[in-house]
Amino acid sequence: MQIDAIIGLAGHKKEDLSVCMGCRICASVCTVNDLGKDPHNADIMVNPQELLVRLFLGEEISADNPLVRYCTSCYRCTDACPWKIRIPEIVRGLRESLEIASPFEKAFKGSVRIWGRVYEPYVFLMSVPFLFKEGYIKHMMKWTGYMSIHLPHKVKGGS
Amino acid sequence: MMEYGYYPGCSLTGSARKLDKGVKQVLKHLGHTLREIPDWNCCGALEYGDRSELVSFSKQNLTKAGAMKEIVAPCPACYKNLKEADGEGAFTILNPLELLDKVDIKASRDLKGMVFTPYYGCVLLRPEGTAIKNRNIMEELITSFGGEVGGEKIKDRCCGGNQFFANKWATARLSTLILDQSKGTVVVFCPLCHMALHTFSKEKKVIYLTDLILYVMGEQKTL
Repeated sequence: MQIDAIIGLAGHKKEDLSVCMGCRICASVCTVNDLGKDPHNADIMVNPQELLVRLFLGEEISADNPLVRYCTSCYRCTDACPWKIRIPEIVRGLRESLEIASPFEKAFKGSVRIWGRVYEPYVFLMSVPFLFKEGYIKHMMKWTGYMSIHLPHKVKGGS
Repeated sequence: MMEYGYYPGCSLTGSARKLDKGVKQVLKHLGHTLREIPDWNCCGALEYGDRSELVSFSKQNLTKAGAMKEIVAPCPACYKNLKEADGEGAFTILNPLELLDKVDIKASRDLKGMVFTPYYGCVLLRPEGTAIKNRNIMEELITSFGGEVGGEKIKDRCCGGNQFFANKWATARLSTLILDQSKGTVVVFCPLCHMALHTFSKEKKVIYLTDLILYVMGEQKTL
């Protein structure tokens, strides 16, 4: 079942989720609900508690789920939860199992695999087509202060 | 006056070099010395979906720190990951903000007549257990230098930085919410918050807290 893979990835135990009291305070504070509408003008409404219950009942969560897509890992849900359930880590586990990383995130992990650290010029170059397509390039003028030309440093001990 | 192990993390050696330089200058002014952890590796940031993999990264960094039991980690994600990896509390993981709590900074300028909005972002203040203790440290510093604090209700909202390179529109919307409700100059400590807010800011200035301290110390000419 999907939940068995997810709780392993998220470092939770299944019983950590069974304590959920259904208070939905996580839904009331979730940052994703601040987004309002997506670019196609469709309402975004998420309920992290519903996601937990669906996982717990053995339902499959798909990559289209708005919480899986847009969770910002802000931990507002965890902070508000009476049981401090770490929902962002469950969502990250879901993303990992559904293999839905963006080209930038793939390049980020690729850099860590090669050098043991994030080498930003590599991450940038590997995601250039994505950055062009998604309109990031128009921010280049503002990003000049962030850029640095330096050689990568390979970690000897690996990562 | 202490010597600390230093974990800069990937961003402070790249896009957030300004924060790295600022932290080193400010802590030097306070009499602290920093010794970089040799051969440190990525902490896993907030990108890794496999938690055991993520925690193993920071555990390796703690092993590399060896005898350096007090470690300064400026990047909030690195700080959180190192704290989580140090399950049994063999190390003291500190954010520079914690070293600025109730210290005497010799100021040669003040911030009278200037308004600032401190913005902490997410992982400095959440989740419980890895958050910094003093949730008002930036406000205290700004007012101690004579500055005025604005935009109190947005300090712990989310800028959406984690979605920046997946769904840019989402980050634009969340960052704009924060910028619209802020007053004066926005003061941050997180490299990702800096990039998100600076990118989507039309006229508001976004600075690191270290810039503000270096300015009052007289080591930086402008804000």
